[in-house]
Amino acid sequence: MKEKGNKSSTRLFPVTGMAVVCICILTVVAGCIATHPSAEPEETIDWNLTLVGNKETVLTFDEIRTMPSYTGHGGFFTTVGIVNGPFKCKGIPLEELCDLVGGIDESNTVWVSAPDGYMMVFDYDQIKGDFNTFNPENLREVPHGKLTMILEYEQDGEILPENDGRPYRIAIVGKEELLTEGSYWVKWVDKIEIRTSSNG
Amino acid sequence: MIRTTHRVAVIIIVAVVVSMAILLPHNDEDKTKLKVFYAGSLIVLFEEIEKEFESKHPDVDVQMEGHGSIQVIRHLTDIHDEVDVLAVADHALIPDMMYPEYADWYITFATNEMVIAHTDESKYADEITPENWYEILTRPGVKFGFSNPTLDSCGYRALMVSQLAESYYNNQTIFDNVIACNFNPTFETTTHNNTSIIIMPEILKPETKKVAIRGGSVQLLALLDSGGIDYAFQYKSVAQQHGLRFVDLPPEIDLSSTEHEDTYNRVIIQLGFQRFASVGTERVGKPIFYAITISKNALHPEQAVEFVKFVISKDGQRLLQETKQPSVPPMTDNPNNLPEELRFMVMEIDE
Repeated sequence: MKEKGNKSSTRLFPVTGMAVVCICILTVVAGCIATHPSAEPEETIDWNLTLVGNKETVLTFDEIRTMPSYTGHGGFFTTVGIVNGPFKCKGIPLEELCDLVGGIDESNTVWVSAPDGYMMVFDYDQIKGDFNTFNPENLREVPHGKLTMILEYEQDGEILPENDGRPYRIAIVGKEELLTEGSYWVKWVDKIEIRTSSNG
Repeated sequence: MIRTTHRVAVIIIVAVVVSMAILLPHNDEDKTKLKVFYAGSLIVLFEEIEKEFESKHPDVDVQMEGHGSIQVIRHLTDIHDEVDVLAVADHALIPDMMYPEYADWYITFATNEMVIAHTDESKYADEITPENWYEILTRPGVKFGFSNPTLDSCGYRALMVSQLAESYYNNQTIFDNVIACNFNPTFETTTHNNTSIIIMPEILKPETKKVAIRGGSVQLLALLDSGGIDYAFQYKSVAQQHGLRFVDLPPEIDLSSTEHEDTYNRVIIQLGFQRFASVGTERVGKPIFYAITISKNALHPEQAVEFVKFVISKDGQRLLQETKQPSVPPMTDNPNNLPEELRFMVMEIDE
């Protein structure tokens, strides 16, 4: 009797052990599927930015990346109040890009456009960072410190995702994590043009 | 002995299967994802429509995105997103931007009117009326706002209301005194064949804190709530949905009535710059109609038809009423192009 009991216990242990191992493997696999980002090979970005001012200059993505950059925090909200960000945004200040083609003053406006047909026009004060800012929690207007408008190419440490305007998006950033209106965050920027304001 | 081993094995196998069910990714891949893009002023209505439609169609996951009306359409035509159903706050945009490649019919299902929204705390709140609103807005200390006409249709409609007011109240100074005098650079106004053309500056910049220009309703509502402004040009539905008081404007100027379409046509706004390459800068005054259509390239045409059917059905009309969105009997511009299931539900627009 005792021997039979011993035999059934002996068979039980390997079965139980195998099942436990199976469960552990499944748990690890499930965790890996849930958390492991799909590995994408690094690709080169073939995208030119045209700057137009008192002359015209075309810059590649690699050339932009070698310029002195600025990093700040900022986000935006959509027409219906959906909050995006705040993000950590890295890019080149618009003012510095404008300096490459002659610079801007109060008589100028800056026309930022994208190949999907979207265009936004900014005045001198906006290029200098003059925007209303909003609290991400409740979209109430709040005061802000210094803001900088940048041509963003990196967001939270990664190249901009396609849906967020890869490779370039206009971003309005500062030290605080505040929001600005989404219509200013032009995606897929390919041209920045300085014009004399038609309204003087 | 063998029975005990088998029982244990079965229990362990069941435990493994249950673990797989719990730990492996679980999602709604089986449901049809119906993409619906809608104009921002429909947000309250469409949130209710989404809930009720999904409860009647548990195999459908309605995925909604709200934008300005032109952006709604551009997501399909310029950005090439996959969109099944589109609903806009200006019915004329659908034929202008989508025909014939992306759509060939629309159905109007709702309307709206322009009002002057305010709170109990607004200066002169108990004094303002449909007869004196334009004078109250010019009083020292009174602040008001409207949305940027280049970014939001409610903004250019605010300009239209102010210009139309000049003929209605027989006072040729209203637009200048209420709007233009507050901006530098300012608007230019010309008249041609009894039509007023208002040309916006490239950048709309208030000279003082009397006027607040914001990208859209969301910001203006927040300013009204906080007392940052006393009054805002708004859609009546938005004012009601947010529990605001409002001044009802005469139908001759509030863009609500087809009866006064000829009058509305007599104001044209020329925007400061062409924000979208696919749409010109000219906006002509006309009655406000919301319209809905299905993309010709819709990935889920059957479910899209069911959705539109729901919007224009009695249930949909009930939701419009509950969310203070004025409804209209569903009408279409091209009945022969409608999906068959919708034809019996709509009338043809009498051009």
